[in-house]
Amino acid sequence: MALISVEHLVFAYESDGPAILDGLSFEIEAGERLAILGGNGSGKSTLAQWIAGWLPRGTHKAAAGSVLVQGRPWSEVPVRERTELVQFVGQLPMQQLSGFAFTVWDEVVFGPGNLALPAEEVRRRAEEVIAICHLDHLRDRDPFSLSGGEQQRLSIAAALAMKPQALVLDEPTGNFDPESRDALLTQMAGLPRDLTTIWCDVALLPPMALATRFLLLDEGRIVLDGDAATLLAHPRTREIFGLPAVAEAALQLREQGLLPAEGPLPATLEQALPLFGGLAVEGHR
Amino acid sequence: MAVARRAAPGHALLYVPGDGFLYRLNPLTKLTLVLWVAVAAFMLPTAGTWAIALFAFVTGVLAGAGKVFARRLLFTLAPLAVALFVVHGLLVDHGGRETWGPLDISHDGLAYMVRIIGRIAALLSGSLVFVTTTHPARLLKALDSHGFSPGLAYVIASPLLLLEPFSARARAIREAQAARGLDLDGNIPARLRAFPALLMPLVTLALADIDHRAQVLDGRGFRACPRRTVLDAPADSDGQKWFRRLLIATIPLVIAGRLLWL
Amino acid sequence: MIPTAALELQQVSFSYVEGTPVLRDIGFSVASGEVVALVGRNGAGKSTLLRLLNGLLRPADGRVLIDGADISERKVSDIARVIGTVFQAPEQQIFNVSVRAELAFGPSQLPLSSEEREARVEEAMRRCGLGGCLDQHPLDLDQATRRFVAIGSVLATQPRILLLDEAQRGLDRDRRELLLRIVNQERAAGNAVILVCHDMEFVAAVADRVLGLADGRLLVDAQVGTFFADAAAARSVSVEQPQITALAQALGLATALKPGDLVDQFSPGRGSGGAAKDT
Repeated sequence: MALISVEHLVFAYESDGPAILDGLSFEIEAGERLAILGGNGSGKSTLAQWIAGWLPRGTHKAAAGSVLVQGRPWSEVPVRERTELVQFVGQLPMQQLSGFAFTVWDEVVFGPGNLALPAEEVRRRAEEVIAICHLDHLRDRDPFSLSGGEQQRLSIAAALAMKPQALVLDEPTGNFDPESRDALLTQMAGLPRDLTTIWCDVALLPPMALATRFLLLDEGRIVLDGDAATLLAHPRTREIFGLPAVAEAALQLREQGLLPAEGPLPATLEQALPLFGGLAVEGHR
Repeated sequence: MAVARRAAPGHALLYVPGDGFLYRLNPLTKLTLVLWVAVAAFMLPTAGTWAIALFAFVTGVLAGAGKVFARRLLFTLAPLAVALFVVHGLLVDHGGRETWGPLDISHDGLAYMVRIIGRIAALLSGSLVFVTTTHPARLLKALDSHGFSPGLAYVIASPLLLLEPFSARARAIREAQAARGLDLDGNIPARLRAFPALLMPLVTLALADIDHRAQVLDGRGFRACPRRTVLDAPADSDGQKWFRRLLIATIPLVIAGRLLWL
Repeated sequence: MIPTAALELQQVSFSYVEGTPVLRDIGFSVASGEVVALVGRNGAGKSTLLRLLNGLLRPADGRVLIDGADISERKVSDIARVIGTVFQAPEQQIFNVSVRAELAFGPSQLPLSSEEREARVEEAMRRCGLGGCLDQHPLDLDQATRRFVAIGSVLATQPRILLLDEAQRGLDRDRRELLLRIVNQERAAGNAVILVCHDMEFVAAVADRVLGLADGRLLVDAQVGTFFADAAAARSVSVEQPQITALAQALGLATALKPGDLVDQFSPGRGSGGAAKDT
């Protein structure tokens, strides 16, 4: 059984408004590293909330379809169990903090403490995620005094301390400088192998560094479900995001017949060098 | 101990770091003492009230809260004393009037003033001793570990933690609007007109924050279980527990004593 | 005669806390029609510098001059008539219940006739692509659209100097190109633009010049091509070269700021100018 099943989901925030999600169907298996990509207003943040169980809530319900987690709709999953299934980390770091903790350590133990786990288990989990998220030097700091990048890493640590089966991230590096972004990517690379991660973003490169499967959301529908090569090759990718610069250059050279039409487009400098290096050697300058 | 070892400079906390006897007392014991002082301050005669106030003051100074404590107490009491003296000592006719130099003073009014200031001093000293020697994190853990509602603990903690970010956001809004041409330094009508531009973003952002944070708390299992596991809870002892029970038990006696005496 | 710079800083220093300077001895000028990118890692002093430019902060030493005149005695709201700032979080500025009202806010603070105000709102709407949502509540819109509402509300005041604080963050291709067009329009109109930016691809696409801050000092003041061609200069202010620039360098080719520059070197004249459409 898939960890999360999205079945013909149709959703609009206003009952008479346009559908933000227009009949989505896909499954997420345990252990997958998935990226959901979409342009501005494409509905990816809304979809992220559905996957994480933050929707449905209040008056916001699906117009049609559903999201099932381990075969059950979110409404049938008890609160405690929810916390151990999927955790969600949103865009604004400060909003992810509990408002209950005076130190980074207290923020991390807050969640497991709520589950009334034995003290030793709480401590062990906290030490583990602090190590994974490189927060050891910050453990006595006030969470609200941290930089945005540090707060986001703390939020992820606090989410991981719940030992969820899946982690949903909504544009986690959106507000970061390159240094914070790289620190987060390093942290993400160190996450448990069996953790399902769902990274939603409008930028291509950060999620491409981690994900192995990509969904492209366009006007509330999924137009692509494939790997990185498929993503870069899809025309809507270029139209919605623009390709990474090296991929764009490679595509233009392909269009001029200077590079072979087959094979994946490069996304990184490392991938581009052998391809372009060969071209330079062949004297096409 | 997994609590802040220093008062976070970003917070408007009155806590003064230290490690004396009062710091080591369980926060619930101190809280019960404050409650007892509050009741006693209103029930005891003036002499008793002032005795409590002085005792609390000396304790606060000796406990290490020192200058911060004394300064706050005096700066709060001084203007109150002056105002009460003017109103009750000079203006209101309480009787028993006497002339001191250029002033026509009422003895009864002065006595009234001394009684009121004594009560406020006792309350304030007791409360200040508590907040200057108790970090909110320790109070939280003490409440948590004794089974108090997590909701109550949250109500205590979150305003303290969120005040500074909230103030910072208010400043950012002010700056953003000023940089759009809003005149914040003009006359009163201009400032009143500017008010919605400052208030609305603050309120809408606060509401969005509340909504989001409620989801975050749910996600972290807040109130999913009747009790929480608390690490490094402040130490408690049977002696302190009995002391607290004794204090609580004497409160009705103090009240009864006051009613019977008079 | 040398034209007066639109904006000039002369030996500006600033500290929030006595003894801990955040900016030291900053000096540069920006000409009318110039687009300058302010780069550097977080904590280098970029936000502080922006606040010194729009008058929210006053320098401890040195002077900030607009059109040759020192702004130190002027109110922030007066400076705002010349310098428009788009801050990072549009939600901190939005308070009106419709996009139209939000766009009209800036002009309403100026001594304009109602026809002039209306014309400015129309122009801002058109430039920022907000025609379809004028009567909607800005907070009901997606984040990117809200960003353009904030941009539009500043453009409606027609500032001669535009300050953009990470305005390109989180934008998809269409919206990035819209922002590029707006910046290029400002340039063409003879207005100066200063953008704080972490996205070097965007800087390469739009800026004429780069100012690089590190530890409160101005370490770099160079034309954009020169800056990015020099990997050491980029490293000194903790920024990465754009991907295409690094590739061109690694291949031993001439400096490339966009994909078309690199493609041209393999087939001169046939490059289509890169992912960002030129306006």
